[in-house]
Amino acid sequence: MCEVKPNNSAPTEDSGAERDWAAAKAVFDSLKTNKPRPPKPQYAVTIAVSSRTLFDMVAERKIYEDQGLEKYVAYQVEHESDPLLPGVAFPFVKALMNVNSRLRKLYPDSEELFDIVLMTNNHAQVGVRLINSINHYDLTIERFCMTGGKSPIGYLKAYMTNLYLSKDSEKVTEAIEEGIAAATMFMTQTETLSETQLRVAFDGDAVLFSDESEIIVKEHGLDTFFEHEKQFENKPLAQGPLKCFLEALGKLQRKFYAKNERMNCPIRTYLVTARSAASSGARVLKTLRSWGLEIDEALFLAGAPKGPLLQKIKPHIYFDDQMFHIQGANEMGTISAHVPYGIGQKYHKGKLIEQPAKKE
Amino acid sequence: MVSTIQNTDVKQKDADRAVVVAVTSRAVFESGADGDDVYGMGVAFPLLQALQRVNKRLLEENPAESLLFDVVLITTDSQQQQQSCRIISSTRHYGLEVSRFCFSSEEDFVESLQKNNVQLFLSTDSNEAPQASQKGVLSALLDRQEAPSEQLRVMFCGDAVNRPDAGPMPASRQAAQNFSAQLGEMRQRFGMSDSPLRIVLVTSHGGRESCGALRTLRSHGVNVDEAYCLAGAPRSPILSVVRPHFLLSDGFSGLED
Repeated sequence: MCEVKPNNSAPTEDSGAERDWAAAKAVFDSLKTNKPRPPKPQYAVTIAVSSRTLFDMVAERKIYEDQGLEKYVAYQVEHESDPLLPGVAFPFVKALMNVNSRLRKLYPDSEELFDIVLMTNNHAQVGVRLINSINHYDLTIERFCMTGGKSPIGYLKAYMTNLYLSKDSEKVTEAIEEGIAAATMFMTQTETLSETQLRVAFDGDAVLFSDESEIIVKEHGLDTFFEHEKQFENKPLAQGPLKCFLEALGKLQRKFYAKNERMNCPIRTYLVTARSAASSGARVLKTLRSWGLEIDEALFLAGAPKGPLLQKIKPHIYFDDQMFHIQGANEMGTISAHVPYGIGQKYHKGKLIEQPAKKE
Repeated sequence: MVSTIQNTDVKQKDADRAVVVAVTSRAVFESGADGDDVYGMGVAFPLLQALQRVNKRLLEENPAESLLFDVVLITTDSQQQQQSCRIISSTRHYGLEVSRFCFSSEEDFVESLQKNNVQLFLSTDSNEAPQASQKGVLSALLDRQEAPSEQLRVMFCGDAVNRPDAGPMPASRQAAQNFSAQLGEMRQRFGMSDSPLRIVLVTSHGGRESCGALRTLRSHGVNVDEAYCLAGAPRSPILSVVRPHFLLSDGFSGLED
């Protein structure tokens, strides 16, 4: 799942890519810009956000659905000097920018930063309004892909994307199938979040870990699940779609620890799982340890609802594979992102759902 | 020595309005065995088909359309010149919409381009393209493509679009602007989706400056469909996804840049 950024590429590939980068840098430097150059994808943690997650485009979307593409684009062009309102991923992006500015102070020459890319299949004419809005809020988003209707998957790979956020669940599913961490975001009314610390919360099974244990719950029941987890406590779980993203966050966290900033680290990670600490929780912690990953807070709910706890944590984003939990979290004002992976997609509140015929 | 032969199979285009595109026969045809009457399909073959498709759709929208691509096949290779019959018969064999055949030497070919009012010159030869560009003819280098698209995909490199005019505009830049304006007008004949022609912008800049490039092109009548702002990242990963038929910048550019 972490193949997107290989660490050991062949030397010939490296030197070719290095030449490409040196050449591109030379061109970019000659353009005389004051803004810091965005980091090289191979060292950075690349986060791709869609236009509808970055900005609130609900009204515009309605125009597209009711009146068609041409009217939608014409509307956007007509209003291109009107900045769009912030969307559901906006606080997350601001928090990423804050981490970057802290990192730049500690490591002025490092390219190990967050690289935020706008990945939209909007038409380039709509892009003018998007760029104007980005500039209005002074967001450090420099790289854009406006694909004019084409699928973003090829571009996600080209930019070595570590995480893709969109409102379109089909695109997100496609990304996950290609091994790219991705999640579908849902609009919510949220209270003010921390501006000094990025908080990312993860569900465990089928998000950080594979869905192997969830399959046991769904098909054989809870008791079998508990027995199984106890029996295999020392066998690490297989990794899930968001494991590599947690790993990328951990890498950046360690840069703060190295400079004695652990108490003041601007990144904090949370595990929020329905597992219980006494029985099935041990396997999870041991798995993380075997991967060499740390998580700041692990919260074992033993089946209790996640909403109230998430409300206390106030994450900038919370990843879960089950829509039931996403809805619950959303209702209590938590920004949640659905990871369409694993057996959880076939069930709703424990019942098998009718699968709609896959679109051609 | 320059000579031009009209292709009587194809209706000649309106000289005032048509967009004349010259492609080298070396790019279009692959030399097969000497015994064959007909050449094999070369690197530029899919491109010609895409140009033809645009013309077909333009005429469907308006049977009286005069803003069409006017394709000229130019042969500079002395070996191929001896086989001029084969070039013409191969063209007819494949039903290519080529209106004229030009034969000239390596020294004279730019003159041939100018005489034929060529607005875009496409070649697989990395010497020919810059030569033409230096004399003010917009040129681009063609390369073999994997899975070329049916839709004609033209990529503009945006760094040239924004550069402030320092002194008189070089001839090749004027040529680029003229061509892009015509392309923009053609593009407007079709809707947002289902167009046989697609205009793509790629810039090395970051966002702010790219906004300017989009606006500048729009003011020249060019509505870009797709835009990729690289902000210092290399182009090649994007090129392999976008798959343009050719890339245009200030005067001359190649797909590998």
